[in-house]
Amino acid sequence: MKGSRKLASMMLVLVLALTMILSACGSKNDNAGTGSTAAPGENAGSTDKELKLKMVMLGGKPIDYDQVFGEINAKLKEKANATLDVEFLDWSDWATKYPLKFAAQENLDLIYAANWANYNDQATKGGFLELTEDMLKQHLPKTFEVMPQAAWDQAKVNGKIYMVPQNNDETIDKVVLIRQDLLEKYNLEPVTSPETFATYLKTIAANEPGVTAYGARPGDGWKWHEMDDMLLEQNNNWTVADLSVPLAFKTDDPNGELFTVYETPEFLELLKYYKDLADNGVWTKNVLSEKSDVWQDMLAGKVGARSHNIGTLGLNMVEGNKAGKFKFDVADITPDRYKLNALSTQNGMAVSATSKNVERSLMVIDLLQSDKELHDLMMYGIEGKHYIAVGDDKYKQGEAAPNYTGFSNWGFNSKLNRVDDSIPASAIAITDAWKDKVYHFPLETFVFDNSNVKNEVSNVGNVMLRYAIPLEYGLIDDLEKGRDELVKQLKAAGIDKIKEEMQKQINAALGK
Amino acid sequence: MSKSGFWHDVKKYRALLLMLAPAVLFFLLFAYVPMAGIVLAFKQYNYSDGIFASPWNGLNNFRFFFESGDAWRVTRNTALYNLAFILVNNLLQIVAAILLFEVAGKWFRKITQSILFLPYFISWVVVGAIAYNMFNYNVGTINVALEWLGFAKIDIYNTASYWPFILVAVTAWKALGYGTIMYLAAITSIDTEMYEAAEIDGANIFQRIFKITIPNLMPTLIILVLLAIGNIFRGDFGMFYNMIGNNSMLFSATDVIDTFVFRSLTTNNEIGMSAAAGFYQSILGFATILLANYAVRKYDKDRALF
Repeated sequence: MKGSRKLASMMLVLVLALTMILSACGSKNDNAGTGSTAAPGENAGSTDKELKLKMVMLGGKPIDYDQVFGEINAKLKEKANATLDVEFLDWSDWATKYPLKFAAQENLDLIYAANWANYNDQATKGGFLELTEDMLKQHLPKTFEVMPQAAWDQAKVNGKIYMVPQNNDETIDKVVLIRQDLLEKYNLEPVTSPETFATYLKTIAANEPGVTAYGARPGDGWKWHEMDDMLLEQNNNWTVADLSVPLAFKTDDPNGELFTVYETPEFLELLKYYKDLADNGVWTKNVLSEKSDVWQDMLAGKVGARSHNIGTLGLNMVEGNKAGKFKFDVADITPDRYKLNALSTQNGMAVSATSKNVERSLMVIDLLQSDKELHDLMMYGIEGKHYIAVGDDKYKQGEAAPNYTGFSNWGFNSKLNRVDDSIPASAIAITDAWKDKVYHFPLETFVFDNSNVKNEVSNVGNVMLRYAIPLEYGLIDDLEKGRDELVKQLKAAGIDKIKEEMQKQINAALGK
Repeated sequence: MSKSGFWHDVKKYRALLLMLAPAVLFFLLFAYVPMAGIVLAFKQYNYSDGIFASPWNGLNNFRFFFESGDAWRVTRNTALYNLAFILVNNLLQIVAAILLFEVAGKWFRKITQSILFLPYFISWVVVGAIAYNMFNYNVGTINVALEWLGFAKIDIYNTASYWPFILVAVTAWKALGYGTIMYLAAITSIDTEMYEAAEIDGANIFQRIFKITIPNLMPTLIILVLLAIGNIFRGDFGMFYNMIGNNSMLFSATDVIDTFVFRSLTTNNEIGMSAAAGFYQSILGFATILLANYAVRKYDKDRALF
């Protein structure tokens, strides 16, 4: 009796289990079927049906989203019979949520894409729709006309295009944002080099209680020190070929010979520089656990300096100086080094592989990149409110500028971008000085394909986080021992195999 | 005998089966159906081919984990943390339940119970923030207090050795109320006649606790421990991630399989590789629970799960 009862319930469970599994498989296949039939070709060019396109952007939702996108949607409806519904992935956790958008096969149309957001990887895995030249010519005519071929070439992954890249020249070199008022208060030399910057930071750390001299947030999982871009790469004229592994070549080396940055004497020197800063309390002791927003802290007077690219810091400076509490300035601490242009894939817009509205999505990208009115709305908000147009190519920040900023509308960067008229002379001087120093080299467009060494790349990333980050933030006392341990762990994680693979790809790119 | 066929049983116990149905459905949906996804551990997953049609790639997905040199360390950490949790949590919960049962008046018991239960509802994100405000070096409550009292500050966030204790303590604090209620329920269901008889025989309170309450709690304890042991190779990701985050100074003592895998794979988000790690945890968990159940069976056949 007891046995048969047990058997009965077991049977029931089994039967149910089987039906569930079978039905689950069935529906899965159905989905795949409909997904693939909705490929390009359908309702080509026709805008009869009103469509609501789902777009994913990185960054916080701007306060005046409803207003600005209300206008954008009104215009888009008129011109393409489509409206946009935007989902924002906040900066605090975009890195986790963004890949999930693809993994979950969510039904999206437009999605922001960028090389620093794993564009290549997502493209290889089939997250983005391939954009053929025919599609681009047909649905993106205005953009296609003005986009240089080089920009398309950079957007290619295994020979195929998956995004509409930005179309403007942008240098990627990092600079620092400092508090001019503090510089003056302590009568310090202008910040123009790593040494003067260190003096500035140490002075603040020693004399300004309650102010953290340098704002860094390694707690978000970034695998480099936040000054590495400037002090390791720019200062030594190196190019790190792929930020997920610590391999670099000398920017002007015609052979592009790779080396491990952690093994160089330059790295050890830099460690001493960092250690000195850390010991002087330039960043907090618990820097690895801190999570608050650096720029907001700086605006509130709690942080004395940060580093980022000039575009972002220029905008910060305008916002900060307008608030009037402190005086901000931008400084280049590696002024004599090569300046590098950003890849076109630094920002861009892609069509999701799950999109059922491919043509319309491309039309919308075309309009937002190449239609002056829409481009202005997308990039700067509402004229007179968020910005004030100055001529055709300049603008001033409007009253409400802070209410429409902070997200990845750079995906639509194009030749129609306006220059901020109020960006102070110092920042303009930096950008102007850079123009002559922009360095072009054969490997400028090199992109590493890690598919053969995925395991090693994962492990190396883990080693960087676990051994390099504490070392670079000055939390390890014996630098040489720490460096040796780091190199040892890196070898164990398979850096040599990655190096070999990358060198092979570099040689191929150089046509050797 | 002829009436005891399968359908007869189904009919006879239909009310019970119906009551069982939601639980069965839950596990089917969330535990059995997704099991088919195990194939991902052996596949080179891409979005366009989907789960079942992506190409196979053998054991390649497991390589990152075992070649990292960290496999043993994180596996050991996971198991040790969970063992500590099981031990400390159950001990505290049983003590609390017995104390509440023996000592308290009705109102006192209710209020204490609610207060103990409260932390259970605080999310780990909030607990992580509270911990940061208590422990950080510059403005943390503990360090401010130490400084005020004239002691040297302690650098908690850069000292791995404190963290096993902190984590065990925080987990115990959070789980105490929930477990206490379970044990309290078990105690309440003990036949009061036994206590009365014991009292008449002149047993004191300790004898009652050790001779009646605790032996009667054993079945509950064994079931709870067995269930917990099945998950011994799964770290509580929410807890570890919110308490530790990416603070690599603490990894040596706090890294568990789940956080390690999360960190390795967020950058290249290789779904096959995460599936492989999950598969590894499941296999280990399955083996442990079989062993534990076997051990319990040896000791007392009636108390084993199966």
